[in-house]
Amino acid sequence: MTTLSMQISTTDEVLEMCSVRVGQTLYGVPIMRILEILGAPATRPVPLAPGFIGGLVHYRGEVLTTVSLRRLLDMPARDATQDILVFEGADGYFGLLVDEVGEVMTVLPADFEGNPSTLDDRRKALFAGTYKLKDALLVMLDPERLDPVHLAETALA
Amino acid sequence: MTRYGKPLKFFVSPPDNVPVDELTREFLIESQEGLDRMERCLTELEERPEDRDLLAEIFRAVHTIKGTTGFLGFSRLESLAHAGENLLGLLRDGKLLANEEIISGLLALLDILRETLGAIEGTGQEGQGDDAAMIARLHHLQNPSDPSESAAANDVPGIQSDPVDQHAKAKRTRKAKVKSAAIETVKDASVAASKEESLAIETYQAEPQIAQTRSAVNAAESTLRVDVDLLNRMMNLVGELVLTRNQILQMVSTDASLAMLSRRLDMVTADLREAVMKARMQPVSHVFSKFPRMVRDLAQQLNKQVRLVMEGQETELDKSLLEAIKDPLTHSVRNAIDHGIEQPHVREAAGKDPEGTLRLRAYQEGSYVIIEVSDDGGGMKVERIRDKALERKLITRERAAQLSDRELMQLIFLPGFSTAEAITNVSGRGVGMDVVRTNVEKIGGKVEVDSRPGKGTTLRLRIPLTLAIVPALIVYSCGQSFALPQGALSELVHLSAEQVQAQVEWLEGAALYRLRGRLLPLVFLGSLLKQPEAGDQPREAYIAVLNAEGRRYGIVVDGLADPEEIVVKPLSSVLKQIGLFSGATVLGNGEMALILDPGAIATRSNIGMALEDDEPEAVDAALADGATEYLLMQNDSEHTAVPLESVLRIERIPRSQIERLNGTPVLRFEGTLLPLKDATRAEGAMTDEEMTVVVCRDGERHVGVAVSQVLDVAGGKPLAEAGTNTATRDVTLLKDRVTSVVNLGLIPLLPGARSSELGSGQPMETWEADAVVEVIG
Repeated sequence: MTTLSMQISTTDEVLEMCSVRVGQTLYGVPIMRILEILGAPATRPVPLAPGFIGGLVHYRGEVLTTVSLRRLLDMPARDATQDILVFEGADGYFGLLVDEVGEVMTVLPADFEGNPSTLDDRRKALFAGTYKLKDALLVMLDPERLDPVHLAETALA
Repeated sequence: MTRYGKPLKFFVSPPDNVPVDELTREFLIESQEGLDRMERCLTELEERPEDRDLLAEIFRAVHTIKGTTGFLGFSRLESLAHAGENLLGLLRDGKLLANEEIISGLLALLDILRETLGAIEGTGQEGQGDDAAMIARLHHLQNPSDPSESAAANDVPGIQSDPVDQHAKAKRTRKAKVKSAAIETVKDASVAASKEESLAIETYQAEPQIAQTRSAVNAAESTLRVDVDLLNRMMNLVGELVLTRNQILQMVSTDASLAMLSRRLDMVTADLREAVMKARMQPVSHVFSKFPRMVRDLAQQLNKQVRLVMEGQETELDKSLLEAIKDPLTHSVRNAIDHGIEQPHVREAAGKDPEGTLRLRAYQEGSYVIIEVSDDGGGMKVERIRDKALERKLITRERAAQLSDRELMQLIFLPGFSTAEAITNVSGRGVGMDVVRTNVEKIGGKVEVDSRPGKGTTLRLRIPLTLAIVPALIVYSCGQSFALPQGALSELVHLSAEQVQAQVEWLEGAALYRLRGRLLPLVFLGSLLKQPEAGDQPREAYIAVLNAEGRRYGIVVDGLADPEEIVVKPLSSVLKQIGLFSGATVLGNGEMALILDPGAIATRSNIGMALEDDEPEAVDAALADGATEYLLMQNDSEHTAVPLESVLRIERIPRSQIERLNGTPVLRFEGTLLPLKDATRAEGAMTDEEMTVVVCRDGERHVGVAVSQVLDVAGGKPLAEAGTNTATRDVTLLKDRVTSVVNLGLIPLLPGARSSELGSGQPMETWEADAVVEVIG
């Protein structure tokens, strides 16, 4: 969180965001935070796991726990394969399951706005704000809010 | 006990956070190694007080410390080492003979040196301490006959008694004060040599160990200290390579050159894995070497006489496992000395050598290392165990009455169990045996206890060779695969869809299965994991019968796959909280599988302590009468049997695979020919029908017995003929039925096989010779 807010408050430079799509919405993740993008790996479900867990993925010799953004947002499961963004979390690496990884975008801090008050509480807790693009909105995701350890503690499941 | 744990800390913890410089760290490691050697040698010295090699080794350790400390400016250490060196110099030059008093003094010096080294490691400083008493004690030991230091050592006339006698006495009266400090010069080398010879058998293999340390000094240039973390990482990577190899092997089958390359990859990977595993191996002597001192101290403290015999110290075990068994082993040794070995007068009254023997034995058995701790002490009386368990309300009176002797014996592993009358410093607080079992089972091992009243107790720890790669059975539940560690698995039962309906019984929502007449609680994996059910129609199922930390239950799964050696990967903390999985792994087909934790599943399902062994009680009871165990088989309507000890494995093969050689049925098996006894007699049977072949050992050769199916294992006694009372051959009483025993020696030899090597060579006898004699209802 600290890195992100620092970037927002202190600089006028352009920020590089990796855009990802889940459902109809476009989300952005600071590119510096992404360790790796895995294209359509096979995930294994984990019985009895908290609802937001998307399953396990084999990642560089380790077992990677993934968080499903669809499940977090109470969206129906997707039939097609999903991509995974790998982040470093409080308890080692974790993955974020998204429908599709898009292109890298540059945004200006000036275009940033906080979450609208009409957003439901769950989304308010997950989203870090919005960048106004020319013809769309880019919803900011903060990897630290999506860390499974953090999610388990805040019982967002 | 922390004292014993200390030295290893140097090698385990990464030295980055230690507030000392490189030079000091080097000194600390070297000194610790020296002190470890010194400790070992000191306890040996007690047995062979004039062994110059031992003395030289000890002297060297202290001398090194003294030399380096002066240079590094640790004055406390320097003066301590100096005082020790003076005393050791006299011993080394033969002007003094090491006695118990001197050895105790040197051991005390060793402790202070260790403590100070520990302080330097932690703080970089020697710390404040008053060493005057220690130095004075060492001084005094140099002039034992006169505290005022008036008598110089070389003035004292040699109080020469027969050295062997003297030594024997010293051993017997180890606890008693040493009366006179014998001062002798070793002038008769032959006496010393013969004495050494006579002692050679009794001590823990002293010679190889010294040889080892000596060659280690010489080999210093060809060895390298490697960080354990690096080794762990290498092990992980190799595990990864094994998985990738498995996946590649499954994929290449079409391209010939790729197939060849992958075979080479296979070989290289296997060799690499072995090499890395070897690098992590350490001889058990690393743990064993702490025991001579501990046994000595404990025996003195408890006024007992204990001789320690150690065998198989060169047996190697993965470093992390070695660390893990240190505590269980220490507990076991303490228990053996405290509870096992009796006071000398009690032993003498029982007609035993007043000196008890504690035997530590390590050896490899398959993919396990067995470590035995056995004593020749009083053993355990089952009645006493039962009474104590009742007294401590660990079991009910009704339950106790139902338990067999062997089951009662296992009660010692219950938490809170202790038979000690009084709580001593050493043990008796009721922690110990349960800790031993928990720790050993944590690393996938097993603990067995075997005890005979008056004869002694043997505790057997079965430790897997390595932790990172464990054999596991892959099971399916609702389409998902899971790995079940084979350590906990005792048997598998297949149930057809109808059998699931008919044979799984329900008691107020609890599923039960009658396994050889006893109720086995069942856990359905699918419903435990709340997996979506595939439908309500009955399906076939498998029961994996597990024995997890003494709790026996069956886990019901949909299907089984082949066993695999899996590489255990840790789960993230969020998934660990589920509590039923001990990790995850990647299977040969690239699929991920969660590793089931049998102990946790038992706890979640409220499976209680079953207190029973793998074998059903009926077999135990029969075995107690000197009977042997047989594998009971069925041929059409007849029962036959083979001794269980000769059974190698059981195969299901189609009938069509049987070929005939000169009329003898044979089976080609992995490039060898297996002579067969085809007892099914169904000449006209359908050739695609499946049959069971029990592969047995007959002398050195292997033979097969073809039967319709295998029924069970049962204990049987030989029968005697009415009237003559001579034992009948090849017939036994199994499960109250007279059953013929297949005489494996009568299975014809293959042409060219040398009959002289085989047990009984009557190749051409007919099958009828050992057919059923009588079958009673």
